[in-house]
Amino acid sequence: MIDIDLKSRKSIYEQVIFGIKEQILSGVIAPDSKLPSVRELSKQLTVNPNTVQKAFRELESQGYIYTVSGVGSFAYAPQDITPDDGLINETRSKLADSLRELRLLIPDRQVFARMVDELVQTVEPKLTSVDRAAAAHANHAKVKGDAR
Amino acid sequence: MIEVKSVSKSFDGLRAIDNIDMTVNSGSIYGLVGTNGSGKTTILNMLCGVTRQDTGTIMFDGARVYENPAIKQRLWYIPDDLAFYGPYTINELARFFSRMFPHWNAAILDVTLQHFQLDRDKRISRMSKGMRKQAVFALGFATGPDYLILDEPIDGLDPLVRQCIWELIVDASADRGMTTVISSHNLREMEGFCDSICAINHGKVFIERDLDDLKSDTHKLQVSFGSNVGGTADKQGSAARTGIDVYRDLNVLKQWSSGSVDFLIVRNSQQELDRFVATAKPVLFDRIPLTLEEIFIYELDRGNK
Repeated sequence: MIDIDLKSRKSIYEQVIFGIKEQILSGVIAPDSKLPSVRELSKQLTVNPNTVQKAFRELESQGYIYTVSGVGSFAYAPQDITPDDGLINETRSKLADSLRELRLLIPDRQVFARMVDELVQTVEPKLTSVDRAAAAHANHAKVKGDAR
Repeated sequence: MIEVKSVSKSFDGLRAIDNIDMTVNSGSIYGLVGTNGSGKTTILNMLCGVTRQDTGTIMFDGARVYENPAIKQRLWYIPDDLAFYGPYTINELARFFSRMFPHWNAAILDVTLQHFQLDRDKRISRMSKGMRKQAVFALGFATGPDYLILDEPIDGLDPLVRQCIWELIVDASADRGMTTVISSHNLREMEGFCDSICAINHGKVFIERDLDDLKSDTHKLQVSFGSNVGGTADKQGSAARTGIDVYRDLNVLKQWSSGSVDFLIVRNSQQELDRFVATAKPVLFDRIPLTLEEIFIYELDRGNK
């Protein structure tokens, strides 16, 4: 279920779009599974059906869902979707805000850089042994270069 | 679809409604907002055919509403004052309305009353204000209206009752494409449910738009180019010292500052704002979406100048 915050400055329309995108990209809404109808969703969330209709139209034009006439709307698989710049920029902004907050809590520049590095590592998919060897080789070359 | 064209109405020489146009699309939840005394109730009375306009036309799906039972049977009006219902019980009113409205559905009334837990044999005048409104809503939904016209229906009711009523409205809108025109002072609440907004001041329309379009047009910005290196904060930091108006490429409607931070209300698209950030490179740039309340107050302010 999408979380709608009536008190948020973000419009209901934007919240519905964002909520569905998140669920599709994270797999909560499985690829090719049927989304609730505009009617059903508007009743579930107690949101204006026109707003839900607009959101579905936008999601379709951005390539997140497809519609089968007379049946309903279905989700594309995450690998078949190109995440839009809007979503990327928005998430980047949020990340920048969080990093800024963290930086204020950790005055030491190097400690901060190390912590961010570690965080990036935890988010990255596990590297295979070949990738790790290549990364180690590249790092070794860089250290030698810095030493000159 | 409801179409209001060139409608005016005067009372004792005072022009209460001044040449207004309104379009309410089918299935829309259309919010009518305005200052006290702006003419909202007069407009709603004319929409229901209770009051007749002096000039102009009011059409429901192409037919005039005034003294037109065929349209009025598909319409349910809830005024602010429910005095008319006072002496009767819900059962008595149900009997009365079942004869007047061809689509009367007793089963819907049963379900709604059960949900609201109202006593069918209690006189309306003996109920609390909230229960009275619930009763009138329950009766109204049982008539299966295509058009619901509401004059400040839920202002002053408790949150639980309000949520109940919005659910009824949304369900009817989703299931049957019911069109709702609702006036209210609670802009925050309206923002959550309306798809269109019409704002009235002194009997004239000063905003009539799709709500999301309205909100995506106007932005509040928080911008800073940094404070003076010497420690005292400039209005626009280093940019001001060069004498150039950094905001000249934006459509600025209002501007004020606090220290080295500038606040602006602008009417620009997202792309135009992105371009501004890329060229001017401010140290701080925040786009804060405006609430309906803020847009309303700001537009009203501008209009009154």
